Amino acid sequence: MLTSMVQALLVLALSPLFTGLIRRSKAYFQGRQGASVLQPYRDLAKLFRKDSVLSHDASWIMTITPYVCMTAVIAAALMVPFITDSSLGFVGDLIVVVYLFGTMRFFMALAGLDAGSSFGGMGSSREMTVSAIVEPTILLSIFTMALISGTTDLSGISRNLATSGLDLVRPALFLALAAFFISTLAENARVPVDNPSTHLELTMIHEAMVLEHSGKHLALMEWSSMTKLLLYAVIMANVFLPWGIATDLTAIGLATGIVAMSLKLLLFGLAIALVESSMAKLRLFRLPNLLTVSFSLSLLAVISYYIL
Amino acid sequence: MFVDQLFLALIVLPFAGAILAATLNGHAKTSVRIAFTVSSLSSLLGLAVAFLIFLDGEMRWELPFSSPFGPLSFYLDTLAAFFLGTISVVTFAVSVYSFGYANHYEGKYPVGLLGAMFNIFFSSMVMVVSSSNAILFLIMWETMSLSSFFLVIFEHRQEGTVGSGLFYLIMTHIGTAAIGMGLLLMYVNSGSFDLSSFPGAAQGMSDVLRSAVFLLWLVGFGAKAGIVPLHVWLPMAHPAAPSNVSALMSAVMVKTAIYMLIRCCFGLLGVQDTWWGITVLAIGCVSALLGVMYALIESDIKRMLAFSTVENVGIMLIALGVAMVFGSYGLKELAGLALIACLMHVLSHALFKSLLFMGAGSVLLATHTKDMERLGGLAKRMPYTGAMFLIGALSASAIPPLSGFISEWLIFQAMLQSFSIPDAMVKILITVALGTLAITGALAAAAFLKVFGITFLARPRSRDADEAREVPKSMLLGMGLMAALCVLAGALSFAILPGLDQVSAPLAGASIADSLVNGIEIVPTVGEFSQASPPLIAVIILAVMGLVLTLSQAYGGRRKVVRADTWDCGTPLTARTEYSGRGFSNPINRMFSWVYRPIRTFRATRSPSPYIRTEMRYTSTTQPVFEKYLYGPTEAGVRWAAKKISVIQTGSIQTYLGYIFVVLVLLLVALRL
Amino acid sequence: MVNDLSLDTINALAALILLADFMLVASSRMRSLTRIFALQSLAMGGLAAVVAFETGVGHIYVVAVLSIALKAVVIPRFIDYTADKIQVNREVEPLVKIPGSLLICAAITMLAYFVTEPIMELGTAITSNCLAISFATVLIGMFMMVSRRKAITEVVGLLVVENGVFLAAVSTTYSMPMVVELGVFFDIFVGVIIMGVFAFRINRTFETVDSTVLRRLKD
Repeated sequence: MLTSMVQALLVLALSPLFTGLIRRSKAYFQGRQGASVLQPYRDLAKLFRKDSVLSHDASWIMTITPYVCMTAVIAAALMVPFITDSSLGFVGDLIVVVYLFGTMRFFMALAGLDAGSSFGGMGSSREMTVSAIVEPTILLSIFTMALISGTTDLSGISRNLATSGLDLVRPALFLALAAFFISTLAENARVPVDNPSTHLELTMIHEAMVLEHSGKHLALMEWSSMTKLLLYAVIMANVFLPWGIATDLTAIGLATGIVAMSLKLLLFGLAIALVESSMAKLRLFRLPNLLTVSFSLSLLAVISYYIL
Repeated sequence: MFVDQLFLALIVLPFAGAILAATLNGHAKTSVRIAFTVSSLSSLLGLAVAFLIFLDGEMRWELPFSSPFGPLSFYLDTLAAFFLGTISVVTFAVSVYSFGYANHYEGKYPVGLLGAMFNIFFSSMVMVVSSSNAILFLIMWETMSLSSFFLVIFEHRQEGTVGSGLFYLIMTHIGTAAIGMGLLLMYVNSGSFDLSSFPGAAQGMSDVLRSAVFLLWLVGFGAKAGIVPLHVWLPMAHPAAPSNVSALMSAVMVKTAIYMLIRCCFGLLGVQDTWWGITVLAIGCVSALLGVMYALIESDIKRMLAFSTVENVGIMLIALGVAMVFGSYGLKELAGLALIACLMHVLSHALFKSLLFMGAGSVLLATHTKDMERLGGLAKRMPYTGAMFLIGALSASAIPPLSGFISEWLIFQAMLQSFSIPDAMVKILITVALGTLAITGALAAAAFLKVFGITFLARPRSRDADEAREVPKSMLLGMGLMAALCVLAGALSFAILPGLDQVSAPLAGASIADSLVNGIEIVPTVGEFSQASPPLIAVIILAVMGLVLTLSQAYGGRRKVVRADTWDCGTPLTARTEYSGRGFSNPINRMFSWVYRPIRTFRATRSPSPYIRTEMRYTSTTQPVFEKYLYGPTEAGVRWAAKKISVIQTGSIQTYLGYIFVVLVLLLVALRL
Repeated sequence: MVNDLSLDTINALAALILLADFMLVASSRMRSLTRIFALQSLAMGGLAAVVAFETGVGHIYVVAVLSIALKAVVIPRFIDYTADKIQVNREVEPLVKIPGSLLICAAITMLAYFVTEPIMELGTAITSNCLAISFATVLIGMFMMVSRRKAITEVVGLLVVENGVFLAAVSTTYSMPMVVELGVFFDIFVGVIIMGVFAFRINRTFETVDSTVLRRLKD
């Protein structure tokens, strides 16, 4: 219980660093100097100290949305194993985690509609379109892992997979990982689905929804999005490739866990940066092609679990 | 004994109230008060009866007069009691709501008759779920259909209402015919009209005959429940009715059909054939997916809610199909789990759908329109209605820890357990169904986001919306009751599930209550496959929210919240610059255009200069696939057949007498032989 | 008999072959078609090599090497060369849109599994997995031929069908007689060359290799 809370706080604290890492790597791949990896911390601190501006047209939805999003993502962080394999998995399993992310998306989209500007409406509409295919993909790929390891509790999946060596490695695992990676890009507003650093309305999905927020509200929204990205990477690390996770609280176990997690996060951060730098953002109506590919991959993963 | 008397009061009181309300039709306010007080009291009686059945056990009661069809008896076991409880709780909230709602019909339509029909409707539904005699059941089913028909055409001066009502009447009679045929087939094989004699008869029937009865009942009850392709009447009839009636129809009338499906397929016919379960599963998947897709593109709030009912009926059938498949393989615990998931969804859907329809009725009352594209900004003008509609939308989109999420979670868990099935093809089919359910969930969230967002948020798109005011307190009370139940049924679901297990145990053959609930956790499976704890989720959410609120206020100091205009790039924003509902769902419309097959036309009026257009007209309509390819040809076929047969109607007396003469001679000869 | 590591490798390679089928259907550019096909043939060759290692039948090694040389190297390059020469548009123009094709291929995979299920119980460990995938590959190859417009993509579809047949042969009967193998290879090789020449000439005469346009020749 206590370990879960500490781990959730760690995730929350480290998420700006992860985003900073990805931005720095992207800059390096694009031949730029790039800002320091600690820049997101400074951005958040600056935003917390500013006033918020709310639209006349906005209702109470806009006021509570940042808090709801932050709450949902912290609640999800409590249920995802980070360095050790313990989490509040007995409170909620993977379906609860996926639907908590869905809650975050729901309220973000509502806030997008609330201000009554076309940007926000457009962002919400596109976000729901993307999520129509991405959410089933995520569910199916994690279900594959649940079937392989015999439990839907995320920490249980990590534990079972890590302690069984290479026995449970099957082709289904890699298919599910590929599908989940594409979904990570889609859900967290990464190229080729969405450009996280754009302000042109034709290319916005996530940015459009948070456009009207400012001050503390914007800080909370940005922070919760960064934490969501980190959580997706942590899920990829601990559910699909959990070897190295600490199964007990000894010093050696924790050290191995920290090293393993850092390596995996570094790997995934670099992979995301690489994909972002080498692909162009897809046109909106080309997205169904990509997303259906990831959906078929996840469907294939479950079928191949039964066939192979 | 006590239960018997309560039950008698339960079915007699509404009729008394109906007669009273009808006679006092002239005095609108009094008849409204009487009618809905009676229905509130009756529904409380219904709840009491349901509780007593759960505590004490079954109840059987016969009507004191004999009939040529055997004893007309009522039988309430835990399954019937559960549905009775659901019907009662929804009727209670809707009755409270109707106190305020029915008053606005005063002077325009005969409100006393509304109240009277409402009571008859409720009583007939109670008797539908408790009948044990096939003929009594058919009589009550017909009463339910007729009373709901009159309720649907209540606002008969509105355009299209009577047409929708007539279409509904035709479809429900087609369904009743199929149901009746099935019941008669069972009667022929069992010798008695009593439903309790059917299981024994089913064992003795041949497979073909049993499957025929199953299919007849699937079509018959499915027509009432609104499965695809028999769903077309639902989005026409449910919106045409007054909102409190729509709430009742969508939330509980379709449940009576689901009740009979569960009773007939599990209880009466027994589930030995896997293909039955797969058929139900397939129909459920198609209904769920098509229902939610059509819901997404609707701009009429009530039509959207009606399509969402089709979707949720599909979800219930998915759970039921999975239960049947498990049952056919003898996996009794898993069948019980799937059945419990289905029943939980029945309850959640009843709760949130009635809430949503009541909300739509409030919006209709305040703004005189149900077209989303003319609304907006209602969250600030009708804050309570908005908040409660949001709770309903959240429950429908399966947001934890509300009841809609718990039921969907249970269905997912039941489907995941399919790895215990020996046949791999069936496993894969259930996995495909799981993917379908996941897509449906995501699309449903999009649909409800659109409804709530376009209707309640941002700026009003018309003067009607701008001038909306909050609705009377009784309406708020009814809605508030359902909203509270949505939240509580989710957070306290660990208390409800053992009760549901009491319902499913006799049907599935195994009770899983001991392993299902462990303190405040729900452990739906054997071994350590999964568990969750809804109240703890709620506690965590509340605690974290509080923490986030305090800490974010603390860090950086207290900052002002300034109100200003939305950023508008220099152009003043009006109602036209907001996102519209149609625009919101446009990307999905395009992505799934092979389902919607939109018909787009574009006309521009000519003007002297090719660069300046004076008027451009663009229309985009969804192609009514089912009307065009299924109902249209069927109707044409029926007309053609009728034309051919009408030849015998010559209009001359001689021919008619001649017919009688010929038949008489034939009968005499036949009797002689 | 068959040790676990080989079985795992065969499973992984078979999954890769199935994945390549899906990627072929999902790709919208001609260049990636040949590349993915090369990858698939590589996996096929690898699978044949592992089967050869397990069963000890010598000539399967030869078959594996031939397969890699021809189908993973020569033929893809030749198709690229032809595509460059006739300067055809880089896009694959499908008759059935890509998301729909993907879902149809998923259905085909399930159908293949359904059809081969009774045979699977009779076969050995190697057979069971690969047979369903070989059926799926054949059917997906045929689907590609039906649902794509350009002549070159149809040839790739034919090659995929041949891959599927080869997989079935290798996994069930531990390869056909050597002579038949060589004959099939030569047929494919010559067929592709002839295809190349024809595509070039068709393009020179009609300015297009789009089969929906070429249909008008019927009149």
